[in-house]
Amino acid sequence: MKYNKKIISVLVVMCCLFLSVFVYLTYFSLFKADELNSSNYANYNRRLWEREDSVLRGSVYDRTGTVVLAESRFGDDGVQKRYYPYGALYAHAVGYNARSYGKTNLELTYNDYLLRTEGWDEILKYGMDDSKMSRGCDLITTLDHGLMQVAQEQMKGRSGAVVALDPRTGEVLCLFSNPSFDPNEDKLAESWADLAEDENSPFLPRATMGLYPPGSTFKLAVAAAALDSGLDDYSVDDGGTVSIDGRDFSNAGKKEYGEIDLKSGFKYSSNVMFAQLGVKLGEEKLKDAAESFMVTEKIPFDIETSSKGWDYDSMGKTDLASVGIGQGRLLTTPLNMALAAAAVANGGVMMKPYLVRSAVSANSVEVYRAVPKALKTAISSGTADEIAEYMLACVESGTGTNARIRGVEVCGKTGTAQNEREGKDHAWFIGFAPKDDPQIAVAVIQEYSGGSGGSACAPVAREIMEAWLE
Amino acid sequence: MYSETSSVKPLFYIILLNLVGAVLISIQYGGANLEAVVLTGAICLVSIVSYTVVSAAELGDAYLFLIISVLGSVGGIMQMRIKPEYGVRQLKWFLVGTACYFGAMLLYRLMNRWLHRLVPLYFILSVALYVATRLFGKTSHGSKNWIIIGGLSIQPSELIRIFFVLSLAAIFTGAIPAKYREKFGIRPKYLRLLAATFITLVNVGFLLLQREWGISLLFFATYFFFIYVYGASRLYLLLNAIGAAAVGVMGVTYVSHIKVRIDTWLHPFADASGKGYQITQSLFAIGEGGMAGRGIGAGSVYFIPEVHSDFIFSAICEEMGVVGGLAILMLYFVLVYRGFKIALSCTNAYNKAVAFGISFILGLQTFIIIGGVTKMIPLTGITLPFVSYGGSSMLTTFAACGILQAISGKKEEITDEIQ
Repeated sequence: MKYNKKIISVLVVMCCLFLSVFVYLTYFSLFKADELNSSNYANYNRRLWEREDSVLRGSVYDRTGTVVLAESRFGDDGVQKRYYPYGALYAHAVGYNARSYGKTNLELTYNDYLLRTEGWDEILKYGMDDSKMSRGCDLITTLDHGLMQVAQEQMKGRSGAVVALDPRTGEVLCLFSNPSFDPNEDKLAESWADLAEDENSPFLPRATMGLYPPGSTFKLAVAAAALDSGLDDYSVDDGGTVSIDGRDFSNAGKKEYGEIDLKSGFKYSSNVMFAQLGVKLGEEKLKDAAESFMVTEKIPFDIETSSKGWDYDSMGKTDLASVGIGQGRLLTTPLNMALAAAAVANGGVMMKPYLVRSAVSANSVEVYRAVPKALKTAISSGTADEIAEYMLACVESGTGTNARIRGVEVCGKTGTAQNEREGKDHAWFIGFAPKDDPQIAVAVIQEYSGGSGGSACAPVAREIMEAWLE
Repeated sequence: MYSETSSVKPLFYIILLNLVGAVLISIQYGGANLEAVVLTGAICLVSIVSYTVVSAAELGDAYLFLIISVLGSVGGIMQMRIKPEYGVRQLKWFLVGTACYFGAMLLYRLMNRWLHRLVPLYFILSVALYVATRLFGKTSHGSKNWIIIGGLSIQPSELIRIFFVLSLAAIFTGAIPAKYREKFGIRPKYLRLLAATFITLVNVGFLLLQREWGISLLFFATYFFFIYVYGASRLYLLLNAIGAAAVGVMGVTYVSHIKVRIDTWLHPFADASGKGYQITQSLFAIGEGGMAGRGIGAGSVYFIPEVHSDFIFSAICEEMGVVGGLAILMLYFVLVYRGFKIALSCTNAYNKAVAFGISFILGLQTFIIIGGVTKMIPLTGITLPFVSYGGSSMLTTFAACGILQAISGKKEEITDEIQ
């Protein structure tokens, strides 16, 4: 028939239409569906809410698996509610889970585990009513409740953060930020507007997302760069102040140290030396120093972190001098600096930090276990040993003597970071202990303390390290 | 030629499908619905009887009704799962639809010599139905497209579709009465094109007034491909394509209803709790179902508004998985393919054109709605044949396929009246 040829070509068009739907639907299901089912769409995807309501959300524990940091219970109305027994203490680590306010921190990143059910119960339950509630997995964190309490006591309500981790594994033992807020949903509902407008930013997780100039704690990276550049014998005549391109760089209290070598300069935190060292090393090496310790980089972590990155296009001499002493446009978080100290402790290898050791299902099957991984090699082990010596000297007889613990070799570096508020410097201390068998690395910051790192933060770090080593 | 279809295996699968569906739905509701069980049994019986009769009496393609039985069974199961009242009514429509199927088949066989001479009647009936809808129709979801006769809601455009195909086939393949030829004094080729264009414009005009974008597109595309196959004028085809593109662009630019559809298609999450709600919920359903589906009765299909009519395919994907959805898609394709095959092997020009038109509409309609609910193309409300809830859609689609059945079995040929 004369029309068959054309009818066949219409059939071919029809084949193409059906084939395109076939391909599209397969593609959608394989590559798009997971995204739609993720918590990114929690606000729209009512199936996610429904699934959450059908599973009793798993609990969150400290590292021993005995202290409950978060758990779900049924309220009087038969609806499950999330409880945080320690209120504000863990808000910036565990986060919160509230229908009206969403999820944050571990409650967000480990949502799928907290809701994940395992085993045959689920399959056998098919089509039955939901009277027997299934339970999601529990999370065992790496956090130590004792250290968290010590941090809270020692910070005495001052704004700032305490981070402690095991330098050998990257386990985060303490992640304390202040000010904080009560993450229980009823408390959130009461004070949400006030919290959001509070000029002290209680919603800011300072330990992981607070960006501060590292101040003198950055000298650790600068000293390492100097050693690696063959400047072992570098020395200056420290007159208390040095002028670079017309700008004065002074030591704390304009103290004069006279003829000092690199180790003494580090120990006393000589700005005169490190400002000149910054100029001598030059832009490239300073940038490498910051990057090798990931000071300005974003840390991959179980909860959100922040970074500003290296903020210079080309540097003048005063920029180089400023960065040499950890000022200028250098910004970092307490977590980053704790990792820098941990890298020195671990022979130059920075371990990837983590906050969750394992996830265990309701029928006691371990469905997830964290495996310690190296994040990067910051410096050679030889350089790390040398820097550790410097840090030991700093605590033994330098600016960090307040961190000394009887019978333990403590390594540390103080910092006093200038900021936009005149005379209200941030105080820093980073360090680790014991020197030859490091078990804990810490970073402590107190915002706008006005005091020095050695006086304000070293004692906090000491209490943390002492509590852990006991 | 269809003698190979004497195997009973396909019947076994239809019964198994209904059985599994009945068991799963009984689990879902914690008990069996007697009426539904009887109706499901009736559907199995009807499938067996139809298949046997069509095979034994050599009434043509015995697979047509089998495929429709599977689709109808899936539709019944899904409607039952969404709401038992819907399910029971849908199963009843299936049985009435079967009567329509064989009724249309017999009528078509009997009237075969006359059908192509009734174009003016089809036209008058169509216009009368459109006018009645305008005057007495009720509005649903922004379209005034329903009339209520004797307590039943009827969507006239479903029936008009059949008239439309019968008319186009007659215009392009039938003899032109001498009186028209004298009256207009132009060559038959152009007379046919003009007549087809006129009928299409009237239909599409009324449909656009009813804001039936999807069905308007369906009518126009049918007309367009009729010109392609039968029009013998590439220039005219090109002019139509340009005209359609111009109207389309104007529609997208100036008609807010269409603009909204396009916006929702491009950015469904921009207003996910408002205009984009339906399509985003549909996507969540398909996503949640994954490859294997959550199981019949175990999904959350109630989150999708209008899930029982336009969005039934999303519910299928959630509960039977994308694999199940693709299987349904392939069934439609096999149905459409067999329709085309009937058209190709038919030797009577008029019947060939009718079979072509019906198969084309069936295929394109399936593409438009499945593509729409999966966000592959902009969404236009249109039913999924045999599965979406609704009497008028069921009955007319059954009737249309009954016509295909009649053509497939037509052995004696009437004289080819073309030119």
